[in-house]
Amino acid sequence: MNKQVVISARHLKKSFGKDENVQTIYSDLNIDIYKGDFTVIMGSSGAGKSTLLYSLSGMDKPDSGEILFDGTDITKLNSDKLAVFRRKECGFVFQQIYLIDKMSLMDNVITAGVLTNKNREDIRENAKKLFSLVNIPELTWKKNSSQVSGGEAQRAGIVRAVINHPNVLFADEPTGALNSANSAAVLDVLTSLYEQGQNIVMVTHDKKSALRGSRILYIKDGEIFGECNLGKYESDHPMRTEKLERFTAEMGW
Amino acid sequence: MMKQAFTLIKHNLNKMKGQFFSFGIIICLTAVIMNIALVLALQTFSAYDDRFTELGTADVNVMISQMEYSDTIIGEIEKIGGVMTAEKHEGVLVAATVREFADADFDMNTVFYNLDADRRINRLEVSAENETDERLIYIPVYMKELGGFSVGNYITYSINGEDFICKVGGTVSEMQYGNYGTGLIGAYLPDAVYSEFAEEHIENKIVEYSLIIEEGVDLEEIKTSITELLKNKGISVLSVSDREVSRQTRTMVCTLLIVIFLALAAIILTVSVFLSDFRIRSAIEDELAQMGVLKAVGYTSGLIILSTVMPYTLVGGIAAVFGIVLSYLLLPAVANVLAIQSGFSYTPVFDVGAFILVLLLLSLSILLFSYISSRKIHRLEPINAIRGIIGKEGAGQNILLAAVSFGIMVLLSFAGTLLYNVGLKPDNFMKTLSEESPSVIFTAESGKMQELKNVLLEDNRTESVLEYITAQVSSPDGSLTAFVCEDFCKVRNDICYEGRNPKKENEIAVGNALAEKYPIGSEIEISCSERTAGFSVTGYVQSINYAGEVCELTEGGYDRIGGSVGTVYVYLQDKTADIFIAEYEEKRQELIATSVNYERLAENSSKIYAGIVSVVTVVLFAISVLLVLLVLYVILGSILNRRKTEFGIYKAVGYTSRQLTIKTALEFLPITVISAGVSAVLSIWYLPAMNQSIFSLIGAMKNHFEISIWILIIFVLAYTVVSFVISVFLAAPIKRITAYSLFKD
Ligand SMILES: Nc1ncnc2c1ncn2[C@@H]1O[C@H](COP(=O)(O)OP(=O)(O)OP(=O)(O)O)[C@@H](O)[C@H]1O
Ligand SMILES: [Mg+2]
Repeated sequence: MNKQVVISARHLKKSFGKDENVQTIYSDLNIDIYKGDFTVIMGSSGAGKSTLLYSLSGMDKPDSGEILFDGTDITKLNSDKLAVFRRKECGFVFQQIYLIDKMSLMDNVITAGVLTNKNREDIRENAKKLFSLVNIPELTWKKNSSQVSGGEAQRAGIVRAVINHPNVLFADEPTGALNSANSAAVLDVLTSLYEQGQNIVMVTHDKKSALRGSRILYIKDGEIFGECNLGKYESDHPMRTEKLERFTAEMGW
Repeated sequence: MMKQAFTLIKHNLNKMKGQFFSFGIIICLTAVIMNIALVLALQTFSAYDDRFTELGTADVNVMISQMEYSDTIIGEIEKIGGVMTAEKHEGVLVAATVREFADADFDMNTVFYNLDADRRINRLEVSAENETDERLIYIPVYMKELGGFSVGNYITYSINGEDFICKVGGTVSEMQYGNYGTGLIGAYLPDAVYSEFAEEHIENKIVEYSLIIEEGVDLEEIKTSITELLKNKGISVLSVSDREVSRQTRTMVCTLLIVIFLALAAIILTVSVFLSDFRIRSAIEDELAQMGVLKAVGYTSGLIILSTVMPYTLVGGIAAVFGIVLSYLLLPAVANVLAIQSGFSYTPVFDVGAFILVLLLLSLSILLFSYISSRKIHRLEPINAIRGIIGKEGAGQNILLAAVSFGIMVLLSFAGTLLYNVGLKPDNFMKTLSEESPSVIFTAESGKMQELKNVLLEDNRTESVLEYITAQVSSPDGSLTAFVCEDFCKVRNDICYEGRNPKKENEIAVGNALAEKYPIGSEIEISCSERTAGFSVTGYVQSINYAGEVCELTEGGYDRIGGSVGTVYVYLQDKTADIFIAEYEEKRQELIATSVNYERLAENSSKIYAGIVSVVTVVLFAISVLLVLLVLYVILGSILNRRKTEFGIYKAVGYTSRQLTIKTALEFLPITVISAGVSAVLSIWYLPAMNQSIFSLIGAMKNHFEISIWILIIFVLAYTVVSFVISVFLAAPIKRITAYSLFKD
């Protein structure tokens, strides 16, 4: 297989705290993310999944090491350059949804859109298409963010994340706060975005979510402990489920 | 950049409409006050100068008695280096008492001029001429505004015990003697009336030389040259006045108002800066996660700061424009009030410079300070923000409340002290602004001085009796009003503010106008009717009524220049001057030539000032209450927002809205009481200095204000109660928080 690398991180080190309270999350972590993958990062709670995701996406800096994102070492960028980098290259979906309150869903999306596109109408048109893709009718996207359900809010969050056509869409337990029906809807949206060519990196605890990925990484003891290629998702095929089960068991899940 | 931040700016503005509205009101108020002060500062003085030029006003006016006049003098004056041209006017100078001037009898040195005489210099602008066969008089605007004489009224001048009554035919604008600040006021009679009047007062006829001097020539030098010239001819100068003194005295209240307004504007602006700082800090804490998300989405710190700062700057800018516009609605009224004292009126016009200055000053300081408050957004790492990690500063609202309470108490202490010293202890105020004020002044029949004093001393209603006289003397710099007293240790109002009062017969204390020219220890020549003597300066005395053109002499000193003290100042135990005078005039006729009810005079003039002071105090109170209201509105708004959950829980466990409202309002109480209290206690130290410096602006170098602890305590309590009531009122929306809102958030 001849896959193109999007993110390549080498010798990452990250620790929190100081002196005797210092907690090293990882001391020499290496990871590659490929174009055309729906990468899923799994691991036990506290393993450092979120921390890794934030480093890879330029939200947080590692203590040392380099992260080449499309060839640029983002650990060398200052905070303003990083912000510009994020607006062009990254999209984010969080576990706690974090929409701006007292603002309509549409305006939430536009707030992100104006960063790369000067044409408001253009952004609106794009946003409308995406809202219909995630099954949010006009009646709902006109509402204030505090007046919609958790599932609707999370899907709006995804629209906001992809409005700037990011190179990579990062998602940290996007279904963590949702019930199973809403989770499935969100996963469907991610899957269909993936099918349209969106690179995705998602952190999850949940095997049902992990099944949607094409490549599963397992993080443990501060390193990428194992990897499993599931290939493109079509349905929750028993074979696929079994492969994932076997992999997680191997990893000591 | 602006375009990218636009959505957020709009959102931030919308989210806190009420908060921005109250912020806008404060800025609007600041702009009103600031623009009024600036327009007055930029236009009053130049309006004065324009009027001055328009009427061809003289730079220096010198008066001598007609009896000493000779034809050649004018030519000699014109030959003095620096003098461009001179003109001679005729008049009658009398010490008159104007009856019913602002409901009191006022002693005023008045110069009567012929209204119809030709004038090139000191031209008159006469308004409302009136054709009747009655005896008409035209009076300065000041007499009309302050004295209350309208066209058609009768005015009575009591001159040497005889009444001279005229009907007011109109007003005269003139820039030299148009206000009593110079110690002389004009009055203008039509030709026929004037001739008759001058005939009757031949001994008081004067000749006035009005001079225009070349540009750049020193006024003082010219004044000295002219007095020298006249002195060498053996002519005594009755009065010398110059444009600087007139200008200063006529714009005195305006200057004071400008200073007070600018100080007020500074205080309010400081409060609003604190307010915006508080709002921004609490917004950063409340919306930390949202800011983190914005950063995650790709907003730079600069964009987020811009969207935080712009709403304040925009609202501030718009409010400032509103305020400036509003101030032009108030300015004509303010200018009219000032005209009462200055005796000349003008219409303030739109001032581009003031507009730009106020707008820039307000917008830029809001921009700067809100930037400083929001600067820490720079240091916000997106991921830390999302996780809610931030160096919590807390206590912001307490600092704000403490600072505001402190500041407002400064205003209130000042206003309260002013009120106390004008309303309850008017003596203090009058002592600050005027000279010695006894209850009664008696002029003894010649040779009866000692006898009169003895009788008065035996009277058990008198507290003390002092030989004292206010007389005119002349110095090389023109005429001075001399206060002569048997013993300056016994005066009630010691007007000496530096050095000491004269004790020996060769000593003198001079007024603040002469302070610069005559250092303590230097010599000055003073002459009276015919004699001249040298005196050594021992100190400086203040005088507002005579613009500092005064001196103090001992009785012995006055004797050296041929004067004698013929009047006694009587201080009574009670306020019974009218009965006292009536009784003495009846029973001791042989001792008393004339008497003055000074008690009533002082009361009446303090009434005039009390009016101005109460306006100032009421304005200060109103501004204080408004500030408290707006500040508490902002603080409570953010508290209600932040502690919604907490209030929800309290309600869930059974607290009533009333209990919660009172509880919240009570939380402010300790801070309000303590910082207002501390401010009040500190004011005991700083207020004297503050009063001193404010009053010294108008020449009152020595301040007699007392600070009443009781007034301060009352004001602290009143402030506390008012702010408590306001907080209860503003915390009322707690009613709308339901236990249910717990689940919503
Ligand atoms: N800002 C921080 N300060 C101190 N410790 C931190 C900080 N952020 C994370 N940690 C610690 O780093 C470790 C890894 O955190 P991280 O959030 O990456 O875990 P995770 O794998 O995402 O766990 P979960 O599955 O529970 O979300 C945890 O032990 C956490 O306590
Ligand atoms: Mg995590």
